[in-house]
Amino acid sequence: MPLMSFLFRLNISCLVIGCLASCHRQQHDDHTLVFWSSSNPEEIKFAKQYVDRWNENHKEIPFFFQPVPEGQSSEEVLLAAVVGKTTPDIYANMWQGDVEDFARSGVLVALDTLDGFLDFLYARCDTQVVKEITSADGHIYQVPWKVNPIMMMFNPAMFRAAGVETVPTDYSSYLEAGAKIKRHAAEANLGNQWLGISEVNPIWWQRFFNFLPLYYASSQGAPIVKEGKAFFNNEHGIGVFAFLQKLYMHDYFPREQQKGQSDPFLASRIASTFIGPWTIQQNERFKTEGFEYDFMHMPLPDSMTGPAYSYGDPKNMVIFQTCKHPQVAWQFLQTMLLPEADRDFLALSGQFPRRKDLDSNPLFVDYLQAHPELIPFARQAKYLRGMDSAQYMKEVLDIISQEYEACVVYGLKSPEEAIAAAAKAVDLLYLNE
Amino acid sequence: MKKFLFYILLGLAAFAFLYPFIWMVSASLSEERSITDVSLWPVALTFDHYIKLFENIPIAGSFVNSVFVATIVTFGVLVFSSMAGYALARHRFKGRNLLFYFLLFTMTLPFQLTLIPNYILMVQFGWTNSFAALIFPGLLNAFAILLFRQHFLSIPQDLIDAARIDGCNEWRILFQILWPVSVPTLITVGIITFMTTWNDVLWPIIVIREEHLMTMPQLVTLFAVGGRSMGQIGMKLASATLLALPIIIAYLIFQKHFIQSMAASGQKE
Amino acid sequence: MRRNKTISSYLLVSPYLLHIFVFVLFPVGFSLYLSFHQWNIISPMEYVGLTNYEKVLQDQYFLKSLRNTLVFLAIHIPLQIGIALGLAVILNQKIWFRAFFRGAFFMPVVVSGVVVTILWQQLYGYEMGSINLFLMKLGFEKIGWLTDPQWAMPSIAIMATWKNVGLYIILFLVGLQSVPKSLYEASSLEGATRWQQFWHITLPVINPTMMMVMILSTIGGFSLFIEPYVMTGGGPLNSTLSAVLYIYKQGFFYYHMGYAATLGLLLALIILLVVFIQRMVIENKQP
Repeated sequence: MPLMSFLFRLNISCLVIGCLASCHRQQHDDHTLVFWSSSNPEEIKFAKQYVDRWNENHKEIPFFFQPVPEGQSSEEVLLAAVVGKTTPDIYANMWQGDVEDFARSGVLVALDTLDGFLDFLYARCDTQVVKEITSADGHIYQVPWKVNPIMMMFNPAMFRAAGVETVPTDYSSYLEAGAKIKRHAAEANLGNQWLGISEVNPIWWQRFFNFLPLYYASSQGAPIVKEGKAFFNNEHGIGVFAFLQKLYMHDYFPREQQKGQSDPFLASRIASTFIGPWTIQQNERFKTEGFEYDFMHMPLPDSMTGPAYSYGDPKNMVIFQTCKHPQVAWQFLQTMLLPEADRDFLALSGQFPRRKDLDSNPLFVDYLQAHPELIPFARQAKYLRGMDSAQYMKEVLDIISQEYEACVVYGLKSPEEAIAAAAKAVDLLYLNE
Repeated sequence: MKKFLFYILLGLAAFAFLYPFIWMVSASLSEERSITDVSLWPVALTFDHYIKLFENIPIAGSFVNSVFVATIVTFGVLVFSSMAGYALARHRFKGRNLLFYFLLFTMTLPFQLTLIPNYILMVQFGWTNSFAALIFPGLLNAFAILLFRQHFLSIPQDLIDAARIDGCNEWRILFQILWPVSVPTLITVGIITFMTTWNDVLWPIIVIREEHLMTMPQLVTLFAVGGRSMGQIGMKLASATLLALPIIIAYLIFQKHFIQSMAASGQKE
Repeated sequence: MRRNKTISSYLLVSPYLLHIFVFVLFPVGFSLYLSFHQWNIISPMEYVGLTNYEKVLQDQYFLKSLRNTLVFLAIHIPLQIGIALGLAVILNQKIWFRAFFRGAFFMPVVVSGVVVTILWQQLYGYEMGSINLFLMKLGFEKIGWLTDPQWAMPSIAIMATWKNVGLYIILFLVGLQSVPKSLYEASSLEGATRWQQFWHITLPVINPTMMMVMILSTIGGFSLFIEPYVMTGGGPLNSTLSAVLYIYKQGFFYYHMGYAATLGLLLALIILLVVFIQRMVIENKQP
């Protein structure tokens, strides 16, 4: 019966294929540690360099390096890895807001139990940062590594042309600049011009570029949630919503996204935007001859004087419980966190190390002097907040985003109502615990 | 005159259905900045978007994945569903009627019900990120069994009896006697299965995360939704064109069968 | 011999039994089990009683997604039936290029929904979309097809109609062809107008097709996922958040497996109920 045997073979081959596909994960012996970085090309280059260096000197426990396997998002890949018990030993691109979720699930190593960790940490970061990354259970599960401070980037030529004499630093001067730009564009027949642009999409991480930095600036780094309850339902949260709402209501910010067109900032149709240091490389590559841009801290509430805090989008290093040699893993991580390593990383990727001696250590002072365009961000790096050490931060930001869309973008709710509704939903989220 | 107007209107209606496809192809062949003023013909003809697309995402590999998965699933459905359909139509055994009603019942169950538990099943089997997750759940479906059952009911008993007297066992009867006289049903089930498997996106998005294992619609979806396309319309449309092309070509060749299959699919009520 | 045949009967249906057990029966049961638990896949499962069900009752997003589905169906079903029936009646006559027209209307049915959504996302574009450019040429205002909360769901319903109408044309054609010619001839002799013929002869015969189109569209409406996922992400203001998209978010974005399973379970019940009611209503109407 040829057909039957064919069918039989088909069955077998299905099984084999299924198995092959699911069993293809690399096997490593007990003495090799696996290290995942982000899939950003510069970070891959950086990580490879340090892994190679380590492997030369530590043949007994070498590292195997790979970027986080391609996927929709690195969080999803990590979760899949946790489920399949195929987590790496070290992962060096963990968003700070995810750490508590993983820690609660018991898959991360409490680093404060490792020799020398706390001494190292206090030497690297100030107490505020240490407080921020300490879990609710009192342990610390992450090494603060890098930040990308969010600042206001602006187009001085557009400001000048519209008669904005000084760079706006507070809510009313920023709104006033918006009115001037609108008027100037209409008078001079320049077509549509806007004061700024910000993503209206209610997906959680878009709040990194509007609500979060403004909230931290206004509150000097107050938490979003505290002790299992919403904390952002205060004058600062409401003030930020009210400020942003005005920007959309007066059409200083466009509601329709400028998709399918060249970068509206570089095309001088948008006078300002809230963005991180990675934009410098981008601008230098695509700007036209003579195009100017500069940076300023996030707008502050009127009559408030600095320092202006901002959001820093911290990405940290963690060690997973599957690691057989956590102390060795920590030793390795320290080599990537040396001042020289941090300087190299800054030079290679344009991302800032999260350390307190950026303005005192000659290594960084010299580097920044040679690269003055980074200085605004270096200054901002002193006044940064990341994410609270609490569970469900992504969902909290998603809830805020929903109200953001209804209140700020579409003006359907008052800022007070929107913030109250968001706070209620967040409280409900933690209540089910 | 009235007739003329009638054809003009009908022609406009047909145009409304064809224009988006024509626009898609010609826009994907036009320069990025002139895409918006394209009407029916490419402006400043360029293959840039396709070249960049192939550099950016493994779309050729995903095509192979899709063909592989859809072919195996289709073949599995034909074999296993015809087996069950044959038993339900021509065998008497305990529980047959029960099984048949059960089949009708499962057809009414919406897939939303089993989505989450099936994903967890895949996780427990260790099948996430493997073709097994795309193949095994699709290997049988109630609708195909029903179509086969209906068809086998119409086959004269003499044919089967004659084969039995010749000493054929049930497997040979099914695959060597019945299959050859059931080609239209095989084609119908084959086309429907292949098409739905090829076009499915939700399930692949859930169970496959590694790029080199993704099916073509999945890869194109994630490319269009995610940041990889960098907001470039030309590349998005190029990926959509490549995704549409195989099935459109198949459709143009087997148009009659496609339409007959769909007409048959309406018989399930 | 007899025994052998019985064994082979069971052998023939065994793959089906195995499949149905693993991929249908077990999941349905497991779904129920999950709905009483809280589980993020990586931590141990936790029994929470009826909490998930209580949460659904307060969940404004789930309610919103159901309301969105109703909006979708209210536009999609009449449009679908009207256009499909109209075109089917035309194609059922002796006209030139019939195969061409039928082929053209059927084209969107065969291509993947992903292609259709990518395509229409561009056509619906605010600044540069073909439709708005065309409207502006005619002197109309631009419409925020996918960015205006009032328009977003109707836009998706129109697109879905465009995508599926070919299939329903074919189904109606099958129905129309089952109307006996003699009925028309007889009624013509009695002086019936074509409209009367359609109303009294054609409609009753294609009633079952109508019901099927309605039920299939309803199920399709409740399964809406890829369109909002690609085009709007559920926005603006959640106006295109579909039930499946919401389940997907709960399950695969927040990893609330227990809650997502509860939503799936309830959604399935709602679909069965709606389809059941539709049937009752239509069957009662039939003479």
